[in-house]
Amino acid sequence: MFKFILPHTLHKAGILGMNYRNYEIIGKNNPRHLYPLVDDKVQTKQLAIQVGINTPELIGVIDAQFKVKNFLALVKEKKEFVIKPAHGSGGKGVLVIKKFTQNYFRTASERVLTYNQVYQHISNILSGLYSLGGRNDVALFEEMVHFSTNFNRYSYRGIPDVRVIVYKGYPALAMMRLATRESGGRANLHQGAVGVGLDILTGKAIAAVQHNRPLIRHPDTHVDLMGLQVPFWKEHLLIAAKGYEMSGLGYLGADIVLDQFQGPMMLELNARPGLAIQIANQKGLYHRLKEIETFPKNLTPEERIEYVLTPQKA
Amino acid sequence: MFKKLKSVRFYLTLALIIASFWAAFSIYYKVTYWGFALEPNKLTNVWAIETHVTFHPTGAPIKISIARPNTDNTFKILDEDVIAPKYQLNLEQNRIILTSNPQKKEQNIYYRVLVYDNTDGKGKAYAPMPDAPISPIFDEQTQLIIRQLISEASKFEGNPIQQLIKLFAQEPPNETVLAFMPKRKSARNTAMIIKDILAFQKIPTRLAWGIKLAEDKKSFSADVMLEAYLKDKWEVYNIETAQKGLPENFIIFQHGGDSLVDVEGGENSVTKFSVIKSTSTSFNLASHRAKLMGDKNWFDYSIYNLPIAQQNALKWLMIFPLAILVVVVARNMIGIKTMGTFTPMLIAMALVQTGFLSGLVCFSLIIGIGFCIRLLLSKLNLLLVPRISAVVIFVILIMQIFTVIGYHFHLDIASSALFFPIIIMAWIIERASIIWEEEGIKNAAKEVFFSIIVAILTYFVIVNPYIRYIMFAFNELNLVILCLVMLLGTYTGYRLTELLRFAPLSKDKTDV
Repeated sequence: MFKFILPHTLHKAGILGMNYRNYEIIGKNNPRHLYPLVDDKVQTKQLAIQVGINTPELIGVIDAQFKVKNFLALVKEKKEFVIKPAHGSGGKGVLVIKKFTQNYFRTASERVLTYNQVYQHISNILSGLYSLGGRNDVALFEEMVHFSTNFNRYSYRGIPDVRVIVYKGYPALAMMRLATRESGGRANLHQGAVGVGLDILTGKAIAAVQHNRPLIRHPDTHVDLMGLQVPFWKEHLLIAAKGYEMSGLGYLGADIVLDQFQGPMMLELNARPGLAIQIANQKGLYHRLKEIETFPKNLTPEERIEYVLTPQKA
Repeated sequence: MFKKLKSVRFYLTLALIIASFWAAFSIYYKVTYWGFALEPNKLTNVWAIETHVTFHPTGAPIKISIARPNTDNTFKILDEDVIAPKYQLNLEQNRIILTSNPQKKEQNIYYRVLVYDNTDGKGKAYAPMPDAPISPIFDEQTQLIIRQLISEASKFEGNPIQQLIKLFAQEPPNETVLAFMPKRKSARNTAMIIKDILAFQKIPTRLAWGIKLAEDKKSFSADVMLEAYLKDKWEVYNIETAQKGLPENFIIFQHGGDSLVDVEGGENSVTKFSVIKSTSTSFNLASHRAKLMGDKNWFDYSIYNLPIAQQNALKWLMIFPLAILVVVVARNMIGIKTMGTFTPMLIAMALVQTGFLSGLVCFSLIIGIGFCIRLLLSKLNLLLVPRISAVVIFVILIMQIFTVIGYHFHLDIASSALFFPIIIMAWIIERASIIWEEEGIKNAAKEVFFSIIVAILTYFVIVNPYIRYIMFAFNELNLVILCLVMLLGTYTGYRLTELLRFAPLSKDKTDV
């Protein structure tokens, strides 16, 4: 039932452990003072606009409890919107409203909330319930992403997104996260979402896991996951690579969604991307990181993507 | 960058080695010179010797001289006091001098001394400087008998002193010995004669007066040993068995001289010695040992010289670093995910105070009830800070009710509620309910469960009396732990749980 494996075997497979990631990779490539840039989604958005990365449009910000009661005024022009904490992580506190009236709000995962519940949610965001370390936070109102229908069959409700690990500006590993019934429409692997490892050159599925166990079909929609191919793959990679210039972080995770009308958009950057992506890819990160260290430095994001996509075997 | 890591690890390893050496030296020093035991509650004998002098005053001014124990050898004085009202007290070397104006009634003087066996702390007991040999004067006839005695003694085994003692101890007595012996045979008289004969042979001797320590002993006379100066040092001989060396339980009050107690201005004086044995932990005696060692100052600034209340508080603190080490290992090497970094440690601390089972039951009850209340609270849609504050107050109320119930129904389980850290309890409840709401009951239960597992682990480390004693008595170990914890901060290997987590990953690799 429980199967342990020798550290030596793991090491040979190039699996990155948590301690190694924290000490050798994050500790040495991500200066602490840069964290606020990616931890605060308002700042991330501004930076993204500066380097020309597409992100969901900001509708407004609520930064004080007394303003919470006016949140309807903020979105009255909109048909749908997303509320998220500026300092949230792992999708915590994100509320996607796809239809609403004065009193009722329908979420992307088909839950119906009352005005009071939404009010409470925003209020919780402000008091820091979802933010790192419980600090006071602000609530972000964004345009909802009309995520591409390409993935409809692959995800049980929720928004599938692409996570790309970027090391020193070069994409290292990528996966797509698909919501399941078990994950409650969220794309968090530890809540039971499916992770599909993607070939970094093509954006095609190479492996899929749920709860660390390999699988071929989506547990709810029963679609063959191996048939997954992310369109606009090069654009995805480019957005991820630009995250390096944007944040200055040597090791980062870029979360990208595909909008039906506007193409790939950056949702957020993560300064401490998790290691589950290795399981989704059935492949360790270590050797890839060492390989990237030999890549040329001081290239533009476009040049780097060209470099990665061009076969180097000479 | 690699170089930088290497140097950090190098310096931390160096620090660890230095700390270990320092700790090893310090432990050695404390054990050897301060007499710290390596196990808790090691007992050392403490003897209370009471010298009780009674006499009738003659009407002249009174002067009493009482010998104090000689602390050259393994026994050390812990405490002494004299009960002699109206007397003036003076201390001379190795003697207490009591003087008083003439008295009328019968006098009772008590001198009580507490000595302890210092063999645990082998301090620098110096050897007494020998006196020059004394030449006795005998008439011709006596000299003749003495020569005969010496020749007869030479038949016995041992050195001349042992030979003589054996000759005198012979039963029935030798005729020559009888001729020389006074009518009343006593250890003291025998010793005096042997002393004279040895002096004739130019062997300096003296009598060592003291008390043979035995439990609940009462005696009207002091015990005596014969000391002879041979080969540059004084050697002690048992006057009855000729055995060389000071018996373990013999404490010398005085070298040479006639008696332990001299009374001037009194008659019919009677001296009674009594001995009571008690025990004390060798730890309690450390301060006295340090004092005798001459590093009293050093000891003064150690934690062992603080008032007991502070010592107990420190005893409690000194175990923390080890508990922290357990948490570090559990999180960074094993990879157990717990609620809050030090929450398990704080739970463990509480368990030590409450007792394991009752504490665990009580903890679960408080968390359980608090959790139910928290579920009701979430319906009220309160803001975060007031909500967590409400949970804190609820926890306090639960504890209060538990304590009252525990008192009235004599339930240990309930009355142990008080020892749990309130804020920590409230945060466990709050966090657990948020995880429940966001990630499901499974994840919430998992995190609480693992926190308790680490807490139990920590508990068993810190509750061990042996470990607690070691960490307090040899607190320099905390320096080693500090270096170890910092060194663990550079550990980049896999966590134990990762071997499980990534197991499916490398299976493919090995199959290929």
